[in-house]
Amino acid sequence: MGWETWIIATLSRTLAYGTPLLIATLGEIFAERAGVLNLGVEGMMIMGAYSGFVIAYTTGHPWLGILVAGVVGAVFSIIHAFVSVTLKANQVVSGLALTMLGLGLAGVLGRGWEGLPLFTPIHKMTVPVLSSIPVLGPILFKGQNLVVYLTMLLVPVLWYVLFRTRIGISIRAVGESPATADSLGVNVTRIRYLCVIFGGFLAGVAGGYLSVAYRPSWTQGMTGGMGWIVIALTIFAFWNPIYGLLGSYLFAALYHLSFRLQAWVSPELLKAMPYLFAILVLIFVAQGTLKKKMGAPAALSVPYTRGEE
Amino acid sequence: MRNRLALVGLMVLVMVASMVAVGIAAEYVPGSPLKAGFIYIGPIGDYGWSHAHDVARKAVLEQFPWLSTVYVESVPEGDAGPTIDKLINDEHCNVIFTTSFGYMDDTIAAAKKHPDVIFAHCSGFKRAPNVATYMADFYQVYYLNGLMAGALTKTGKVGYVGAFPIPEVKRHIGAFTRGVREVNPDAQVDVRWIMEWFNPAAAKEATEALIADGCDAFAFTEDSPTVVQVAGENGLLSFAHYSPMYRFSKDYCVSGELVHWDAIYADFLAKIYAGVYTAHNLANVDYWWLLGQGAVEMGAQPGMPINPAYVDKLKAVTVDDPVLGTVSVYDLIQDRIAEMSDPSMVFDPYDGPVKDRKGNVQVKAGSRMSVLQLTTMEWAVEGIIGPWPGEP
Repeated sequence: MGWETWIIATLSRTLAYGTPLLIATLGEIFAERAGVLNLGVEGMMIMGAYSGFVIAYTTGHPWLGILVAGVVGAVFSIIHAFVSVTLKANQVVSGLALTMLGLGLAGVLGRGWEGLPLFTPIHKMTVPVLSSIPVLGPILFKGQNLVVYLTMLLVPVLWYVLFRTRIGISIRAVGESPATADSLGVNVTRIRYLCVIFGGFLAGVAGGYLSVAYRPSWTQGMTGGMGWIVIALTIFAFWNPIYGLLGSYLFAALYHLSFRLQAWVSPELLKAMPYLFAILVLIFVAQGTLKKKMGAPAALSVPYTRGEE
Repeated sequence: MRNRLALVGLMVLVMVASMVAVGIAAEYVPGSPLKAGFIYIGPIGDYGWSHAHDVARKAVLEQFPWLSTVYVESVPEGDAGPTIDKLINDEHCNVIFTTSFGYMDDTIAAAKKHPDVIFAHCSGFKRAPNVATYMADFYQVYYLNGLMAGALTKTGKVGYVGAFPIPEVKRHIGAFTRGVREVNPDAQVDVRWIMEWFNPAAAKEATEALIADGCDAFAFTEDSPTVVQVAGENGLLSFAHYSPMYRFSKDYCVSGELVHWDAIYADFLAKIYAGVYTAHNLANVDYWWLLGQGAVEMGAQPGMPINPAYVDKLKAVTVDDPVLGTVSVYDLIQDRIAEMSDPSMVFDPYDGPVKDRKGNVQVKAGSRMSVLQLTTMEWAVEGIIGPWPGEP
């Protein structure tokens, strides 16, 4: 087995497994850029996974499933927006509560839906002509689904919105210094609400991808902690969609390799590898000055009340 | 201040009430209505271990009009003690089933505390006058699946996704490999571990890694249908585990293992109801139930031992057996099922001589592994490749 097949297998798995991580990370980047830390990603994802599966299963339309998954994630995230923006409560507690609520609620609602295969998943596709390019063809254009490509397209779009448009400036201003933004006429509450809801939508879509495309079936707890990886990846990405793509794909590559390399390295050690990598990066990023330089929103997880500060 | 006083008063009241409740837990009178409590390690929606126990709970509930049940799911190993207390004190259960290996010591401790309550602990080895043990084991069925995999693999490489490298899983992989090599002496079984009982994404990536390494048939021990799904998506063969998974890959899922915990639960509960088992005579009651007792079944769907699409293919492959002569793999499987279901167990997958993959003889010719040896097995059968943590 030559190096080519190794590269092809690793990178094509990277795209498949990295996509849900990337989708949810992009959403969390927006929420945190607006100054709202949302630890409820796992809860929103599992709600998306559940509702996406149910809709795709009953209607036979997987894309409708993905859409509904996003909407459910968005609606679910309003709880966190209300508690943390309107009531100005502790964002960590509220986010954790959202995760617990989502896991529990999806578990109860999902009774009886487990063990059903989805006959109409989002299928893998092979792009004609392009897939016959050596090495690159099989990686990019064979056996991936449309969501993978759409997610890739979304990255530059969101980067542009965040760093090159008026809305992006408002979002970042609200996350840096809500008082200043407010004095300049930016509606802090509205921006924070919209960003949290957008984050919820993408987390829901990521969950829907898991149950409709990645492994088309529903099982309780099927997100298996991915939501927490997303929180780490958001920091790893320095709150930038482009780095979000790099981080998600790098993590996914390590994840795939942790199974591929088992013939040579102890599985226990490999199992820890992607997480060890995430912790190292977090320690690195947590250094105060670096954190500032790398773009951590200064008002992250700080509720804003007009006239105080 | 008054509130606080009221709170303290309430707490004292609750404590007294619970002490009284402990006092009134009386011994079960045979023939009276019986209440059984079940404690599950995972969510009943896992479509694996806990799901199967809950399916069995519902089956016996329907079978016996004198039975009522209650269950608690997703109980972490450390919380078994308080959960048992709650089931006895608040729910007044006469019988408690603790369905995970990790509950073993808590079950024994709780049994001392509640000597009048009957306990049964699944997959453990510690018993007491009021604690029985039970297990429905799959190693025979894994062996039968291995025979099919050995006959059907084209690359000679069969993949296996394992949860944890513990004796139970090692015993299953070993038996499966024995089957594969009996039909296909040069074939290899490549193993990947996901180090979790339940993680669909890990199971998926482990399967993809095995596909990239050239495997074309798959078996597994973990709690989701992921391996069957991923193999099917790639047009590769699979063997289901635990729950009916045929519908996840109708063209490629050849067979598998199914569990019938209700066979054990029904037997145990009926004997308590009849007064055969009491809280004083369980010290030697151990259900180690296999094919012969109907606790396990071969197939990916009840009543369908082999996917009909593969019957002719299995009839077309023949092996030379020292006893049976030249037989088709299909007939060999039927013979082996009959032999292993027979009460005298004419055949066992681990009948000697068996070598480990380092070349040492682990089971001598003419001898057989005891239940204790099977439940503590750490070595890797010849023909297994891939990592094997804890290999002696």
